[in-house]
Amino acid sequence: MNRNTALKALCGLVLILFMSPATAKVFRYPESSKPSSLMPFFIENMSAVRVSEFIFEPLVTKNKRGDIEGVLAQNWSASPDGLSITFQLKPNIKWHDGKPFSAQDVVFTVKAAQDKGTIFGLKGKYRFIRDVQAVGNLQVRFTLKKANKKPEEQFTFKIIPKHHFQSTAITRLDRFSKYPVGTGPFKVEKNELRLIRLIKNTNYWGGANIEAIELMHTPDSNEQINLLKYSGQGAGVQNVIFIPPKSMSMFENSDSVVLEPYHTVAWWYFAFNHKNPALSDISVRKAFALALNREELLEAHLGQGDLLSGPFTESSPYYNFDVEPREQDIEEARNLLEQAGYKMANGVRSKGGKALEFDFLVNKDLPNCQPLALSIQADLKKVGIKINQKFVDNSLYREQVLKQRKFDLTMNIWSFEELEDIYPLFRTSGIRNYINYSNAEVDAKLDASRKENDHKAYKEIMKELHMMLNDDLPYIFLWSLDIYSGLSRRVTNIFIQPYNYYTFFKDWMLK
Amino acid sequence: MSQGLDEQKGWALSVWVLKRTLRSFALLVGASFLIYATLRTAPGNMVDLVLGINGTEESRALLRAEFGLDQGIIMGYVEWGLRALTGDLGRSITYSPGDYVAEVAFGAFLVTLALSVLSLIVSVTLAFSLAIALGRPQAKHNLLLTPLSYLNAAPSFVVAIVLTSCINALIYMQLEGGGRMGPIWYPIPTYKAISETLAPFSFAMISISLGDGLFIDLFNVLRAELRAVGGAQFMNAVRAKGAPVLPHMVKNLIVPTLSIFTARLPIVLSAVVVVEYIFTLDGSGYLLLEAARMRDVPLVVGVSLFFIAAVIFMNLILDLVKAAVDPREVTRVG
Repeated sequence: MNRNTALKALCGLVLILFMSPATAKVFRYPESSKPSSLMPFFIENMSAVRVSEFIFEPLVTKNKRGDIEGVLAQNWSASPDGLSITFQLKPNIKWHDGKPFSAQDVVFTVKAAQDKGTIFGLKGKYRFIRDVQAVGNLQVRFTLKKANKKPEEQFTFKIIPKHHFQSTAITRLDRFSKYPVGTGPFKVEKNELRLIRLIKNTNYWGGANIEAIELMHTPDSNEQINLLKYSGQGAGVQNVIFIPPKSMSMFENSDSVVLEPYHTVAWWYFAFNHKNPALSDISVRKAFALALNREELLEAHLGQGDLLSGPFTESSPYYNFDVEPREQDIEEARNLLEQAGYKMANGVRSKGGKALEFDFLVNKDLPNCQPLALSIQADLKKVGIKINQKFVDNSLYREQVLKQRKFDLTMNIWSFEELEDIYPLFRTSGIRNYINYSNAEVDAKLDASRKENDHKAYKEIMKELHMMLNDDLPYIFLWSLDIYSGLSRRVTNIFIQPYNYYTFFKDWMLK
Repeated sequence: MSQGLDEQKGWALSVWVLKRTLRSFALLVGASFLIYATLRTAPGNMVDLVLGINGTEESRALLRAEFGLDQGIIMGYVEWGLRALTGDLGRSITYSPGDYVAEVAFGAFLVTLALSVLSLIVSVTLAFSLAIALGRPQAKHNLLLTPLSYLNAAPSFVVAIVLTSCINALIYMQLEGGGRMGPIWYPIPTYKAISETLAPFSFAMISISLGDGLFIDLFNVLRAELRAVGGAQFMNAVRAKGAPVLPHMVKNLIVPTLSIFTARLPIVLSAVVVVEYIFTLDGSGYLLLEAARMRDVPLVVGVSLFFIAAVIFMNLILDLVKAAVDPREVTRVG
C-alpha cells in the first residue's frame, strides 16, 4: 500500500466514524432506569411498564375515552351472576415468531402467573381468577372467585406465548426476559447493556406508523434534556418522559420541542410510623400538618400541582371537594402541642423526658428530595419538632422502611394504574400499610367498600373515607404534580396514556 | 561449568515466576472475598428490590434460594469460588436478569481496559515525544511547560464536560446554518451504542489523556529517566564506538516506562469510570455502578474481579519483563 492510498483509507475511516448521518424514522427515548425485565410478570419499574406496551397485548384495554375495548379479544359475555366470563378471541393473530395465537396461550398465562414456582410481586393481579379453560382455539372461559358487575375490566394483563416455555413455573432468569415474543406492534431486535432496539412487527394485525424504536438507559436527567434539546435535526431523542420543573423554561417557546401535560394517578404523602408513641397521638400529627407550608414546598421544589386533602387525586371520582386542604398555621400547631403537654426547651419540645425528635427517612430516588426535606425540617423547627433526615438508596429504603418498618417519618409517592385502591394502604395489617396504622372505624368503612358492588355507593364510601382520613391523618396528604413530557415536534398524533404511557403508540407518527 | 550455572539460573527464575503467580492468585481470592462479603452484608438486598412490599414470606424464601442468598457468606463464597474456577461466574439477577456474568462483565471490561490502555499509550507517546524534542531542560521551556501543566491539572471529567459542550455547540452552529443532518453520534453524550460509533470512545480517550495531570506527570518522569540514561557511563562507550544512541537508550527505558505504566493504570482505571459515565459508554464503570445500585451480587463481584485481575496481571507482567531485561531483579526481590 503506498502512502497515498493509506492516507485515503484513513480519511475514509474517520469519515465513517464521525460523519455517518443519523438514520431517520427511528423513535428514540431515554429512560432513567433500565427496564427490570421485558417479561410481563417481572415488570418492577415504570420503564418496564412502558416498554412492554410495545411488545405485548392484553385481552382488553381502556380506550382513549376510558371505555373497555377488545385488543386480543373480539368480544365477551359475562354470566348474569357476574361469576364467569367468556372471551371470543380475534382470529389470525400471530406471535412475533409467526406462530398463531390461540386460547391455549391465555390459559397458559394465567396458569403460569398462579404457579407457586413463578415468583413475582404482583401475583395479586391474577388472584381473582378461580379457573380458566380454553373452549376450542378461539374461546376462553374464566370462572371468578367473586361476583363483579364488570368483570372484563380486570383482564388487562398481558398474554405470553405458551410455546416458549417448558412449564408453568417461570424464572426471571429465563432468556425470554431478554428476548421476549409477543403479539404487539413491535418486536425486540437488539437488547444490549443500555440499548433496546425494537422494530415494527410485520405480522401485526393492527398496523403501526413508526418503523423502529430505540430505548436508551440514560440515568442522568440533564443528559436526557440535552438529548431532547438537539432533537431538531433528527439527532438526539424524540421523547423525554418527565421534564423536571427547572428545565421546563428551556422548551416553553421551542420550535422543535413541545411540552405535553398528562395526568398520572399518583400523589405524594408524608407518613408517620404509628408504632411511635408520640406519633400515635393525633394532636402531634395535627401539629405536623399545620406546621407545613405545603403550597410553598410544592412551588419551590417541584413546580405545579394540586394540594390534596385526602388519598385521591383531584381528577379521581372519589375526591371529596368538601374537604379543604389544611393551611399552615404555626400558632395553632404550637397551641396543640402545648395542650398535649409538650413543653419547649432549647428549641425542642418534650414531655416526660421524651423529646419530639424523629428520624426522617427519604428514598434518594425521590425527585428533589434533599432541598424538600430541608424545607420540611425548617417548617417543623418553628413549632419545636426536630427531625433528622436520612437519605438512603432505593434497596435500603425498601428493606428498612417498607419491610422492617424502622423509621419514624418518611415521605413518598403512591402511583396507581387507574383508580386509587386505598384498602391495602390503611386497613389494619393491609399489605401496603407499612405505617402500622389501625383505626376501627376506617377498617369498617374499608371492609364495607370491598363488599359494595354498586359504583355510586362505593363512591360515597370513598368520599366519607376521604374526610375521615383527613381528620385522623395516617399520612399528611401532600399533592399531585402536573407532569409534562417533552416531545419533538416531528412526532404527531400523540396520545399519552397516564400510566402505561405508550398504549396508543401505534397511532403516533414521526415526520 | 557455565551450562550448570545457566541451569541454576533457569530454576531460580521458574521458582520465582511460580511464587509470583501464586501470590497474585492469593490476592485475587482475598479481594474477591472482601467484595462478596461486603455486598452480602450491605443493607438492602435483591429479594426486597424485586418483590418490594408485595411478596409473601414463602416467595421470599424461594427467591432467596434461587438467587443463592440462602447460604451463609462463607459457604456462599466457597460455592461461588469453586464455580468461578471453572470459568462460571454465575448469572446476573437484577441488572440484566439471566445474562451470564462472565460474558457481560468481560465485554464491559474490554471497553474500559481498551480506553485506559489506549489513553495511557497516547499520553506516554506524547510525553515521550515532547521529552525528546525538548532535550535538556532549559529555562525557556517553562514558557511552554507552565501553562501546559496548569491546563493538564484539570480533572479528566472536567475536560470531558468542556470538550462535549464545545463539540455540541460547534455542530449545532453548523447545522443551524445548513439544515443538514448531524453525525450519527450527535449530540454527545450520545444515544448510540459503542458497536455503532466509536466517536464517543475517541473523545473519552482524549479527555483521559489530557486530564488529571497524567500527561505532565509522565513527561517529567520520562525526561528525568532520559537524562539519567543519557548521562550514564555506558552511553559514553556507545558514543565512542560511533553506534546509534537511540536504540540503546530506548532499551534502557523499557523498564522505567513499564513501571510508570503499571503504577498509573489503577489511577487511570478509576478516572475512566467517571468519564465513561459522561460519554455513556457501556464500560465496567457504568456497569459496576448500576449493578451495585441494584444489589446484583454476582455481577458486582464479576465486574470487580476483572478490575482487580487487570491490576494484578499488569504487575505480574511488569515483574516478568523486569526479570527478562535485568536478571538481577530475580535475586533482588527473591
